[in-house]
Amino acid sequence: MSHLNVNPPSTRTWRDIPQNVTTKGMTREGKKRLAFAVGNIVGLALVIGAAGWGIYELVSVWENNPSRITAAASSVPLREIALRTDGVLDKAWVMRTLGLPKGARLMELNLPQLQERLLATGQVQTAVVARKFPDILAVTIQERSPVARIMAQVGAGAPQAFMVARDGSVYQGVGYDLQLAETLPFLDGVKLVRSGSGFARVEGLDQVSDLLGAARANTPVLYRTFRVVSLARYAVDATITVKSTEVDAITFGVVSDGFYKQLARLDYILDETRRQNPSQPLKAVNLAVGGSQVPVAFDIPTVTADGRVPHAAAKPAAPFGTALFSLPPRNSSSSKRDF
Amino acid sequence: MISRNKFIGAVEIGTSKVSVLIGELSQDRALHIIGVGECQSRGVIKGAVADFKAASEATHAALIAAEQSAGTRIDEVYLAQSGGHLEGFYNEAAVNVSSADNMVSALDIDTVCRLAKSKNLPDGRMVVHHLRRPYRLDGRIVPDPLHLVGQRLEAGYWTVHGPEGKIADNIHVIRGFNVRVAELILSSLASGTVLASPEDRQNGALVIDIGAGTTDFVLYRDGSAQMTGVVPVGGGHLTNDLSLGLRLTEGQAEKLKLRFGRATVVTKDRAEKVWLNGDFAIGDRQFSRYGIEQVTSARVWEIFEVVKKKLGPAFSAEKTASGVILTGGTAKLPGIDEAAAKVFGVQARLGEAPGWVAENLRDPAFSSVLGLLQYGLSSRAETGATTRRKTSNWIGKLFATA
Repeated sequence: MSHLNVNPPSTRTWRDIPQNVTTKGMTREGKKRLAFAVGNIVGLALVIGAAGWGIYELVSVWENNPSRITAAASSVPLREIALRTDGVLDKAWVMRTLGLPKGARLMELNLPQLQERLLATGQVQTAVVARKFPDILAVTIQERSPVARIMAQVGAGAPQAFMVARDGSVYQGVGYDLQLAETLPFLDGVKLVRSGSGFARVEGLDQVSDLLGAARANTPVLYRTFRVVSLARYAVDATITVKSTEVDAITFGVVSDGFYKQLARLDYILDETRRQNPSQPLKAVNLAVGGSQVPVAFDIPTVTADGRVPHAAAKPAAPFGTALFSLPPRNSSSSKRDF
Repeated sequence: MISRNKFIGAVEIGTSKVSVLIGELSQDRALHIIGVGECQSRGVIKGAVADFKAASEATHAALIAAEQSAGTRIDEVYLAQSGGHLEGFYNEAAVNVSSADNMVSALDIDTVCRLAKSKNLPDGRMVVHHLRRPYRLDGRIVPDPLHLVGQRLEAGYWTVHGPEGKIADNIHVIRGFNVRVAELILSSLASGTVLASPEDRQNGALVIDIGAGTTDFVLYRDGSAQMTGVVPVGGGHLTNDLSLGLRLTEGQAEKLKLRFGRATVVTKDRAEKVWLNGDFAIGDRQFSRYGIEQVTSARVWEIFEVVKKKLGPAFSAEKTASGVILTGGTAKLPGIDEAAAKVFGVQARLGEAPGWVAENLRDPAFSSVLGLLQYGLSSRAETGATTRRKTSNWIGKLFATA
């Protein structure tokens, strides 16, 4: 049989039966399904239509006035600044620092710039500025805690006290309680370097912070006598020198021993000195040496011919003696200092 | 495009009940049965829809139950088709292999297939299935003659057809649920697919699905379906016979059939009586057990005889080595395998669902719907493969002529 002449009659199959459906032949469930299907189609058509209309609008705006697309959306004027902080700064300070113009609109604010302004003060460690619609600016800040004070002169003005934080940041403290601020010892022996409108960070403040923190927590009486903390020899032999109201120079080592033990020894030495030689105040204590013996220097008063101690004014010129202060053995019960 | 799993409903609108299974077809063509629904059928006589509204309500109730059981909506339906209105005939065609080197081409196969399927049908009738028998190349049976060498290629189709109106009624019942009918599958083919193994089909097997209103059968040989048929007699006729013979209501007769009916007479004592209810209440009566067995077995034997007669010379015991496989609700009648073995002269057994089928679906009444899913998926996969082959041929021709 030739293939070219093959033209067989077509037979109808069940697939030729039209499957279109009328609601007349449907049960209630069928009608419900049909309505659901129609709803789906209508919904899809609406979504496609809306998307198409949106694209058309976008294209027409792009062609006619492209600046409208990049322009910030208009919004209502800023009503309030919501501040969250872990420190002492208040809303008034934030408003002063941000310097927002009156009637500024929320969408017009340059948030990164505002954040920069907050961080530039030094007291603010981190700052998050966010829009809270419709009309609130949310400011969340984390503040630095001061460890010590430092005197510095800015320009031709009189020297003034700045705060130094644990990370070495030097800033003008705002909002601190004056009595609390005055308990902070002064920092000495460091050279402040200008950096922009402020100062560069000071090295070694983490060790100072650890020392003062340990003193404040364990020997608050001693801490209150600390007046000046010097980092003059920190870079040379890793020591921190503290001038207190009782001792001119207490040397702490940052590598030889922990501050806790050094403070315990100092406490013991001061107690023993007061008990044994109340007339011979300590001039210097070197806790950086370590071991069971601590080098100390006494202020030896000059005795006059009549056996009296001269006036205190003569004290700076007075000679002083050095000695090794023996600490009790570690296993002795009396050596155990319990703050 | 978002791809997702497809939920296929296998629906059999039977004379006594409507069964629905929901299969979840995943992207990797794995099928999981996730829902079952059943409902007592109404408006269906001998497999054909007689009352559209009643049939729709029953079918939709079963569909809703299945959807609730699966927790999802059906995307499309594979529908079982049965009924005495279905008929079949065999038609074959042959072509001479066209190429000079006598190698069979895809065009030769396409031509012989189209010729074999191209017999005109009487007015108002339409094709339900074209079941192809194995190709013959120069007289030898070949599963796929492509690229084989020979001179004469033959193909034969068993075509199942039915009246357009009755087929459309079944489809419209499903469309009334606003779901598309994706496949229309003969009940016997569906049952055969799930119960007869490839070895059974190769060796020759006769699968008989005895439902309530119809008995569907399919004869397999050489790995494919040779012949199908529907006898408009089923288990309902056994009930009817008992009802008429013993002057009982349909319900009472059904109860007696389920309790005492048999496909073979085993009771020797003709005086042995059985109670209708056994509760000694007013109206409870005694019946001869021998009589009940005789009535039911006579009808079962008659059904088998009719099937055998319809098969005619196509059936031979020698070429049906795997014997008779029985299924359907009436196949649960005791002794039915024995009766089938005696009538057909071959071994007979009750069909067993494959191991992957869950315990609650292993009842013979579910074999047809299970087979719908299996046959529908395999035939669709085959259609897809043919389409792909045709596409590749077209591309091949394009490059060949360039």
